[in-house]
Amino acid sequence: MMQNNKYAIETFSLTKIFSDLWGRAKVTAVNNLNLQVRYNEVFGLLGPNGSGKTTTIKLLLGLLHPTKGKTLVLGGDATTTKISSRIGFLPEESYLYKYLTAREILDFYASLFSLPARVRKSRIEALLDMVGLRAAANRQVGTFSKGMARRIGLAQALINDPDLLILDEPTTGLDPIGTRQIKDLIAELAKRGKTVLLCSHLLADVEDVCDRISILYGGSIQAEGKVKDLLQQTYKTQIISDSLNPSTIESIKGLIIAEKKDFEITSPMEKLESFFIRTVAKAQTKAATTSGAVSTTQIGEFLTAKDKEKGILDKLVTAETQKEPKSEPVQTQKPAEVHIEQRPDTELIRKLTGQEDGPKPVEQKEQIASETEEEEKIREDLLKELTDSQTDNADKQADENKGRAGNA
Amino acid sequence: MKIKGELEMRSIWAVARNTIRQAIRMKIAAAFILLMIIIIPIMGLTMSGDGTIKGRLQSFTTYSLALVSLLLSILTIIVATFSLTDDIKQKRIYTVLTKPIRRIELLMGKFLGVVMLDLIILIPVSAIIYSIILYIPYHYKADPQQKQQLENEFFTARASIIPPKPDVREEVREIYLKLKKNEQLPKGMSYNSIMRNLTYIKQMEKRAVPVGRQIQWDFENVKVSGRGQKIFIRFQYDVAINPPDMNIYGLWAVGDLRQISPITSGPGRTYFIERKDILGITREFEVPADAVAADGYFGVAFLNPPINNTVVIFPSGEEEGLEILYKAGGFTSNYIRAVFMIFAKLFFLAALGTLAATFLSFPVAILLCLSLFCTAILSGFITESLDSPGDNINIFYEYTIMPFIKLIPHFDYYTPSKYLIPARLISIAVIAEIAASMILLKSGIILAFSVLIFKFKEIAKITV
Repeated sequence: MMQNNKYAIETFSLTKIFSDLWGRAKVTAVNNLNLQVRYNEVFGLLGPNGSGKTTTIKLLLGLLHPTKGKTLVLGGDATTTKISSRIGFLPEESYLYKYLTAREILDFYASLFSLPARVRKSRIEALLDMVGLRAAANRQVGTFSKGMARRIGLAQALINDPDLLILDEPTTGLDPIGTRQIKDLIAELAKRGKTVLLCSHLLADVEDVCDRISILYGGSIQAEGKVKDLLQQTYKTQIISDSLNPSTIESIKGLIIAEKKDFEITSPMEKLESFFIRTVAKAQTKAATTSGAVSTTQIGEFLTAKDKEKGILDKLVTAETQKEPKSEPVQTQKPAEVHIEQRPDTELIRKLTGQEDGPKPVEQKEQIASETEEEEKIREDLLKELTDSQTDNADKQADENKGRAGNA
Repeated sequence: MKIKGELEMRSIWAVARNTIRQAIRMKIAAAFILLMIIIIPIMGLTMSGDGTIKGRLQSFTTYSLALVSLLLSILTIIVATFSLTDDIKQKRIYTVLTKPIRRIELLMGKFLGVVMLDLIILIPVSAIIYSIILYIPYHYKADPQQKQQLENEFFTARASIIPPKPDVREEVREIYLKLKKNEQLPKGMSYNSIMRNLTYIKQMEKRAVPVGRQIQWDFENVKVSGRGQKIFIRFQYDVAINPPDMNIYGLWAVGDLRQISPITSGPGRTYFIERKDILGITREFEVPADAVAADGYFGVAFLNPPINNTVVIFPSGEEEGLEILYKAGGFTSNYIRAVFMIFAKLFFLAALGTLAATFLSFPVAILLCLSLFCTAILSGFITESLDSPGDNINIFYEYTIMPFIKLIPHFDYYTPSKYLIPARLISIAVIAEIAASMILLKSGIILAFSVLIFKFKEIAKITV
């Protein structure tokens, strides 16, 4: 497919004014917005409630008509079937047909695309596995919890293997594992040449996955740029290493004092997210050992399905390699810590739950053991990030920090 | 692949199937089906009509089909309006319209879904009613004579010929001129209303038979095919003064009346019949078909004997007016055509509901549809009552309300029982008229409007 435009999404002084019954302007939701999202990047649209994020997305998708200005999505009009067949959209809330089962919903959405029946069937099954709803596939969606509904919402957005994925608050209502899965998924899709527009006010999510962000307020852009450029504190230096013995620390201290700089030495904290996932995974394997059966909880299914993620992505994307943008070398290098942080957890989860059909408790136990060791190593790697963001964890290590003279 | 401008049937079909599922799973349709399945057999056993087997058949046919028609009409309105408005209200439409489906396809899918749901329910339910109708004579152990009567008067489809309205324009004009000359015109009445009243009076006069006098109707081109056929005369009496026992005596002469009159031509028998009938109720009698002359002439004459002691009037209404009937088809095909009549109405209502859903929220849309539905049921009555309003309103309503009422189909004009009860043939012409007017023209216009509105609708905007 030709990409005759260098941006996947582009708006030209896009304006949306909501007026009342008599045509009087009431709210300017989007104001002269010039948004540019490149191919193959994960773009974050941030902003407080009511800043025009969702309105912008609705304008992009043709659900609202702009008062002024114009939008280009994948180089064209998103309402035409040619363009819309390449878009995946997850709305703010998962609005679903309550009376359909999960499988029927996906089948309904899939049948709006011209997919051969065989491809449609296999995709639906793969997506059900991927979002962890295989066991609930024949249940009416009206009985689903919010998180489960969200997963179906995500699955329907991916049904056509979209080139452009527009996600509006994708992690609302999801547990930390679901959130992590979506983040991993976004990273994985980006790796495979997809473009993702992520709209959120959960800053941690955006920070983890986005290449570039734009902060909206009052319907116009207040700040825009690469996450790395915007957040990197170039006036600080961070050293992350394996744990050192006190004498080494003392000599480093000496060096820094010689340079007359403030400093702080701590052990890095693990992120609550990784800790949570590890704890749940552990609890789950324990349950499996005692009962000798696959856990049927939602999390369990979801985790089991995790290792299939790559499978479905491969399936979804095999024919798409030529879609990689060639018009512009887009820089999408992420802050290194994001990758470091994600990879081990993905592997952990996969290994923990590798046998989705018949789990062998003993094996899994072993895996856990080895995995924990691996995890320890990674925790060291996270030092840099942690010292950046978590300043209030210093109490424990207070004794070792005599040398510091206060915050810069 | 899809050519531009062409509808993608796959998408339409997917939406239609989804709509049917919605109606069935949300138990709207289920409730209606259950209601019908329970009530209809009960009706078959309990309705007695006038006590005869024919009366039972007639009342069961009338009420069961009317019930199916009414319930399905309401169901159609509910599903057609709910399905789309709820998608919009629950914002599910966001995920649908961002898929490669055109808005017209979504709309047509919803419409098709409703129409198909109607068919899914209508076909089996009318088959059940049909079997009950066939079963009723056996259940009440009809003897051969009764069976023969039912064959002739119920399980058949008869062509009907109605005598044309007498042309009284010339006479009315003369009376008017005479009144004007003598300055006897009523004050405060316009020319139009005077003429209307005079025409009415004059036409009534033509249908009135004073004591000792007779009235004659002549029918041309009567074509009764087959041997042993009968020809039926269907009529109703009205009177100036009610006789004590409410019965009217009549001397009828039926057949080739030209033989009696001086100008005689062609063979054809004439039958003379004496009858005593209760007034105000439609009655029927039969003569062998050889009463029809070879050239298709058939005459009916009525003599008002002195014993009645009152003027006898033959009403002119569609149901009450005099008509002759003769076998022209079978009951089954006539029944199928009657069911098609119901379907045509449902088709129109589905289109109407779809239109309402494109620009209104559910409660308003359903209210609009229900009120238009009632207007359609009563359209004959409404047109009639609007036919003689005050003269000042006349022009106003001619250009505002009238076109609107004309667009609303006349549901009351196409009721199955109107045809099935007197075993009247629903001619191909009637079916074609219904198909052309209700399905092609009126539903077509409505659907075109809804497509147009929906195409430019701002979906994400909140609809009130």
